[in-house]
Amino acid sequence: MRLCARGLVAAFTISMLSAISHAQALDQALIDAAKKEGRVVWYTTQIVNQFARPAAEAFEKKYGIRVDYIRADSNEVALRILNEGRAGKVQADVFDGTAAVASLKKENLVLQWTPEGAKGLPANATDEAGYWVATNLYVLTPGYNTDLVPKGAAPKTFEDLLDPRWKGKIVWNTASSPSAAGGFIGVVLTAMGEEKGRAYLKELAKQNVAGIQVAARQVLDQVIAGEYAIALNIFNNHAVISAAKGAPSEWIAMNPAMAVLSVISVTKDAPHTNAGKLFLEFLVSEEGQKLYRDAEYMPMNPAVQARDPSLRPDGERFKAITFTPEQIETNMPKWAGIFREYFR
Amino acid sequence: MPSDAVVKSEPSARTRGKLFAYGDKRWFSAVVGVVLAILVLPPLLFLVEGAVTVTEPGGAWHFSLHRFGAIVAQRGFLQSTANSFIFSLGSAVFALVLGGVMAWLVERTNTPLKPLAYLTTIISMGTPYVLYVSAWLLLLAKSGPINSWYRQVTGTSDILINVYGLGGMILIEGLLWSPLVFLLLGATLRNFNPELEEAARMAGAGPFATIRRITLRLSLPSILALAMLVFIRALEAFEVPALVGLPGRVHVLTTDIYDTMHLSMPPDLGSASALSCMLLVLVSALLYFYGRLTRNAERFATITGKNFKPAQLDLGVWRYPAAALLVVNFVLLLVLPLIILIWASLLPFYQSFSWAAFARITPDNYKNVLSSSRYIALLSNTFIIAFVTATAVMLIASFTAWLSVRKAPGAAMLDQLATTPLVFPGIVLGVGVMQLFLTVPVGVYGTVWIIVWAFCINYMPYGVRYSFAGMLQVHRELEEAAAVSGASAVTGFRRVVVPLLSPSLIAGWLFIFLLATRVLSLPVLLSGPSSQTMAVAMFDLWGNGQGPELAALGLLWSVAMTCIALIFYFIARRSGVGLQGQG
Repeated sequence: MRLCARGLVAAFTISMLSAISHAQALDQALIDAAKKEGRVVWYTTQIVNQFARPAAEAFEKKYGIRVDYIRADSNEVALRILNEGRAGKVQADVFDGTAAVASLKKENLVLQWTPEGAKGLPANATDEAGYWVATNLYVLTPGYNTDLVPKGAAPKTFEDLLDPRWKGKIVWNTASSPSAAGGFIGVVLTAMGEEKGRAYLKELAKQNVAGIQVAARQVLDQVIAGEYAIALNIFNNHAVISAAKGAPSEWIAMNPAMAVLSVISVTKDAPHTNAGKLFLEFLVSEEGQKLYRDAEYMPMNPAVQARDPSLRPDGERFKAITFTPEQIETNMPKWAGIFREYFR
Repeated sequence: MPSDAVVKSEPSARTRGKLFAYGDKRWFSAVVGVVLAILVLPPLLFLVEGAVTVTEPGGAWHFSLHRFGAIVAQRGFLQSTANSFIFSLGSAVFALVLGGVMAWLVERTNTPLKPLAYLTTIISMGTPYVLYVSAWLLLLAKSGPINSWYRQVTGTSDILINVYGLGGMILIEGLLWSPLVFLLLGATLRNFNPELEEAARMAGAGPFATIRRITLRLSLPSILALAMLVFIRALEAFEVPALVGLPGRVHVLTTDIYDTMHLSMPPDLGSASALSCMLLVLVSALLYFYGRLTRNAERFATITGKNFKPAQLDLGVWRYPAAALLVVNFVLLLVLPLIILIWASLLPFYQSFSWAAFARITPDNYKNVLSSSRYIALLSNTFIIAFVTATAVMLIASFTAWLSVRKAPGAAMLDQLATTPLVFPGIVLGVGVMQLFLTVPVGVYGTVWIIVWAFCINYMPYGVRYSFAGMLQVHRELEEAAAVSGASAVTGFRRVVVPLLSPSLIAGWLFIFLLATRVLSLPVLLSGPSSQTMAVAMFDLWGNGQGPELAALGLLWSVAMTCIALIFYFIARRSGVGLQGQG
């Protein structure tokens, strides 16, 4: 009897263990291989002290694998990998950004692989062909200076922006990037359609929108400093971060906003492929997603809510059009062309 | 008057000296030429190749000139070109006038309060570029103190100064370069042989006629060299046009090219290369005319074998307005930007002066900077890079300037090679150097040495201009004297020319050292995980909207740099004065 019971318990335990180990089988093999490589090189567009360093430290602590990161803008990240690839010496294992992957995959420099952990993410967070997985969402909206614009008076719709009182008081970044004039034009054309959208933009041009070629973050800073009243296509979480410090900044849930996926990929023929894969698994896991949350970003995993959930478009009160890296890469030349035609 | 015997013996001594010199210099010329070619040619080839070839995804490529056409056909190209010219010319003239007047007052007159000018120059050269531009922009902005006070005083909602336009661009770019002009022209004026001025005064010329007809004429090569330097630098400047010009809808070539380049992902380097090739042709033409102007360089030599000490002009009561000018310069270039930076560094986010903002003052930014361990590694990387770069550049540059001024074989070629890097946009040079070291297996990629290499290319023109301006003053007769005494040309260079050049060389070294500590575009593209520099950290803060923390870091950094600059300048002055004393 006892023996039988023991046998049952043993059998049960074994089957339990095997079930667990089956779930982790892939993981463990990957972890071992990654540990053997001992190092992962990450080309990142993330701000070092906000995200890159905390993420690297957390990963090192968990797996004992060193993360060497290099921070640059997404153009430089793409250039570096492109050149390394052409010389046949890719140094990066992992890279992130919003559009770089679209051009790099054409050069056959990106590995087609989707992390296991991506199953917990919404369907649009992974590339069907497996070139990238989204880790967080950027939402781009207008923002304004609350000292210069009383709360109720802020423009709520695209049409409101055409009010003559904003003439000369709106600023945007002139770069051909999503967080700039190009992105705003893209949203207008997509939301209103080609013809209406162009007509609207022609009207907007009459507002003498000031253009500067600096990062979206500094566009907002100029608004906070009082140089302009309203900024178009800034990262809405930036307005919240600054407001928390007491800055007179606020974002506007203007419908629709632009949502851009921040995606991450493993390079093809990476020197440390397994460590790179493990790093991706880590970033899309709940633990990794919490790091994004703590940096005031919007994590992709629905189980990890952003600190300020209202930042994320809910599809009812606040809608957004989401653009994938491929859509940005394909359409940006056209959007930038319209910018030149109407706004300079 | 020389005696007959001396006159007779001179030709033979000269011939002998020249024969030796020629043999030695040819060797030397070849070596320096090879070094320069190794540095400059690979990125140059990359530039030209990028401009005229089109690579399809997959690697196939074909020849095409369409980029040149596209640039010229671009909407507003002519306007942008015109703006670029006005901006560059205006900045060069403004910087020359401001820096030149200061240099003259300080070096050649008995104006009181001279130390203010040195202090201004040294501190402003130690301040990161991006910080300086933003400081002036903050001062002059619509919401800046000047316009705010104007509104308070007049009660209107108008603005007094609209900085966003060509005027504002020229003002800020000119202010940015005036310390360089001050330093370089100062070196020229300090080593000035006063005999000719005295002769003019003797012949009845007034002080201003003397300045106009003697001092200015004799300084012409230095002035032209500087004007060209500032002109070209402004032509390829990006920050000021992007921050000051664009909001006022003033487009220049660099902001246009930035647009074109960033239309696609990764950036279309071809267009940047095509524009750079056009710039290269332009700069070569400028250099050609410049070369013709300074062809008879000996006419301008002011350091001869005779002992002298430049006379200081007594300004009489004009000393006080002159001193006031120095004070204005000091306030404009140093006090105001410093005040606004200190103000910014104490705030959690930037705001104009107000009591509400005053209540928010906090030392947090300084605490954050000082408590971050990351900066220590960055600091040592930055120092290594800047030190090695400045030393290597000044070494090669002094040889180049010497050979070029003394018309050694291939001199024109050397000068052209050393000046070519002026036209490389940072990103094109970065990619060129990157490709070089990805192809050549020497294990430099990802270390600090690849940054040193790129910086050496980038700063060679500055080094050469600095040495060149100094070299023009040193008369050939001093080397000939050395040659007659049995020294080879190289020994003459080492024992006679270098000591006499040292003020210029040291000023150049300092300039490059400081530039290398704060320039961004190259380190961003070339640094590896363990070779990050201070500039990269500043870029992070800037991109992160942490302007106040950047101001704090920048100010601490400037204090450190100023100490270095002061020590260095002190040594330079001492050695310069000492050498002049020896004649």
